[in-house]
Amino acid sequence: MATTKRKMTPSQKSQAKWGLAFVAPTMIGLIVLNFYPIFNTVYQSFFKTGDFGMGNIFVGLQNYVTVLKGGEFWSSLLNTFKYALIEVPFSVAFALLLAVFLNRKIACRGFYRTVFFLPMVAAPAAIAMVWRFLYNQQFGLINNVFHSTTAWISDPKIAWISLGVIGVWSVVGYNMILLIAGLQEIPHDYYEAAEIDGATGIKQFFRITIPLLSPTIFFIVQTRIIGALQQFDLIFMMMDRSNPALPKTQTVVYYFYVNAFQYNNRGLGAAIVLCMLVLIMMITWVLQKSEKYWVFYN
Amino acid sequence: MKNVKVLLSALLVLVMLLGTTAALAEGYSVDVLEVKIWDNNQLAGLQQIADEWTAQSGVKVNIQVVDWGNYWTLLEAGASGGDMPDVFWMHSNNAEMYMNAGKLLDLTDYIANSEVVNLENYYQGITDLYSKDGKNYAVAKDHDTIALLYNKAIFDQYGVEYPTDDWTWEDYKAAAEKITEASGGEVYGGACNTGNNQDTFYNIIYDFGGYVISDDKKTSGWNDPNTLKAFEFMATLFDNAWAPQQMLAENGKDRLFLNKKIAMDTEGSWMISQFYNDDNHDDYAWAMLPYEDVNGNGQCDEGERVSIYNGLGWAASADVKDPAAAWSLIEWFSSKEMQLKQSELGVTMAGYIGCSDAFMNAFPGMDISAFLKMETEGTLVFRPYSKYTSRWEDQATSDLVTVWNDASTMNDVLNRMAGDMNALLAQE
Repeated sequence: MATTKRKMTPSQKSQAKWGLAFVAPTMIGLIVLNFYPIFNTVYQSFFKTGDFGMGNIFVGLQNYVTVLKGGEFWSSLLNTFKYALIEVPFSVAFALLLAVFLNRKIACRGFYRTVFFLPMVAAPAAIAMVWRFLYNQQFGLINNVFHSTTAWISDPKIAWISLGVIGVWSVVGYNMILLIAGLQEIPHDYYEAAEIDGATGIKQFFRITIPLLSPTIFFIVQTRIIGALQQFDLIFMMMDRSNPALPKTQTVVYYFYVNAFQYNNRGLGAAIVLCMLVLIMMITWVLQKSEKYWVFYN
Repeated sequence: MKNVKVLLSALLVLVMLLGTTAALAEGYSVDVLEVKIWDNNQLAGLQQIADEWTAQSGVKVNIQVVDWGNYWTLLEAGASGGDMPDVFWMHSNNAEMYMNAGKLLDLTDYIANSEVVNLENYYQGITDLYSKDGKNYAVAKDHDTIALLYNKAIFDQYGVEYPTDDWTWEDYKAAAEKITEASGGEVYGGACNTGNNQDTFYNIIYDFGGYVISDDKKTSGWNDPNTLKAFEFMATLFDNAWAPQQMLAENGKDRLFLNKKIAMDTEGSWMISQFYNDDNHDDYAWAMLPYEDVNGNGQCDEGERVSIYNGLGWAASADVKDPAAAWSLIEWFSSKEMQLKQSELGVTMAGYIGCSDAFMNAFPGMDISAFLKMETEGTLVFRPYSKYTSRWEDQATSDLVTVWNDASTMNDVLNRMAGDMNALLAQE
């Protein structure tokens, strides 16, 4: 027993073999579908890529210089942050309110939960098409009902807010479900004790509910920030190339798509996503570090 | 029960054998050709033409429609991975990229030995587009021109004379302004968005003697003095004649026209069926595009009434399994008879010169002769393109938004666009 290097018994060997066999499909999938593309992207970012993956010319850091020196990357980045600034806080705040209400025993609770969760089930492209119709300046439902002529998605001043609203609407149900699950983990005794001590409902919410929910909130905030920074389909489906608000709303991933796929400039596209990857990693790192200051695990 | 199974499998084997022998009888090593296109409106007609080829060759033709955006993603993935469809459409935006990389079947020898296809019978600009270094990679499938569509009901309502074939762009402007003013901005005279290049503002640029790209594809024409003149004229349309650009950013001009928000619309011949199938199609009529009297002699001369034209090509994959079968199908599509049939069925105008008259009769009750008159009485200019067309063309769609919304920025923006485009062309 004292020897560390012990030969495996035949049964352990066979166990290990089977273990490997069972994880192999996942491992192969990860390597082929995730790791290989990541390394290939890094590789491509140093090249002026040729058509159909042939005739790549090594250009060193040229693509990165183009990305970081060009104004479009930084304005897209600003747009992305503006979008995240609407989507993340509001979707979390609304979801929290909804979760608290829908965690109580009210009539038709299941129905409401389903209704709020529905956007999560619909395809993002379908959501975008429906909102495009709602927002349409000439023929849209919103302007028709309110007899207004607001250009919701083509006025550069407000388009980013209109898009943010869709983002909030789409994810609020998902956040709500996670928060309800979190709420149900909180033992009821705390609230009873607080009531006996004379704490009001609002006080209970801020002193008991929020601190005990903080792990869930942390998880949601972190995943939503990453999700919001990767926003693409909404912009792609809603905004045409000639939309005057596009320069004020196009996200980094949209900027990547245009260069990599519409302009067929894969190398530049690879450099754009890698810059974004580094940025997201930095943000995640900061969030992880901040965890210990505001997240409570009991 | 067992007997039935045996009988059925025997039958199946027999059918399969018959299938192969039928195909082999013509000397083809495949029984089916995969064809990809992007326009659903053309599917029925083209399938009918292809089925006639199947009847004599014994090789089935399976035509699939993939929408424009996905078509190119799919084709590129196929070209990179070595799995392209057998026969497919080529377009001016991407042709050079595919020819350069050797992804298209070289048709030069097939054409030289063909009794059916003689390239002199097809539109020169389209043939040039699909050839490189003296080799041909596609045969013209069709061509398109542009004409002016107008809504008679709106003209009647505001008491404005209908457009005629003698209109200059100034006449167009005057009529458009009248309608906008008479309706109090409820209806606009016309519309053009920054992306409406081929069907609208490219035509105006060339009417004024300007250009978008030089013949050698090395120089941008955005800052050419005549191009600038065309833009200065268009700037006078932004205020009252054309619908605001913001309105167009959310609704295409075809949609605005169908919803009676604009009275006139310049449209390509590939759009006819959309207007023909509309409930109000009795109100719609076509005229030739207006011209620009550059030399001021009061009549339309050569080059003063330009229609930008484009044409798709039938191409085959370089690694097609049976090149002879693929060529035979392309030859069939390109033959004079089938080009005529394509017109008769109302699919598109022909790539074969002189086969488009039948197309004019494919829409009973709607006179679309203006499209043909554009080439007999006007001047055809091939749609500007280079190896990476979309890099500067899509960029222009974005850059011009500023000009449309504030015409005073015109000089700066066009000069910057010319610089950017020249830099891009230098990299090609």
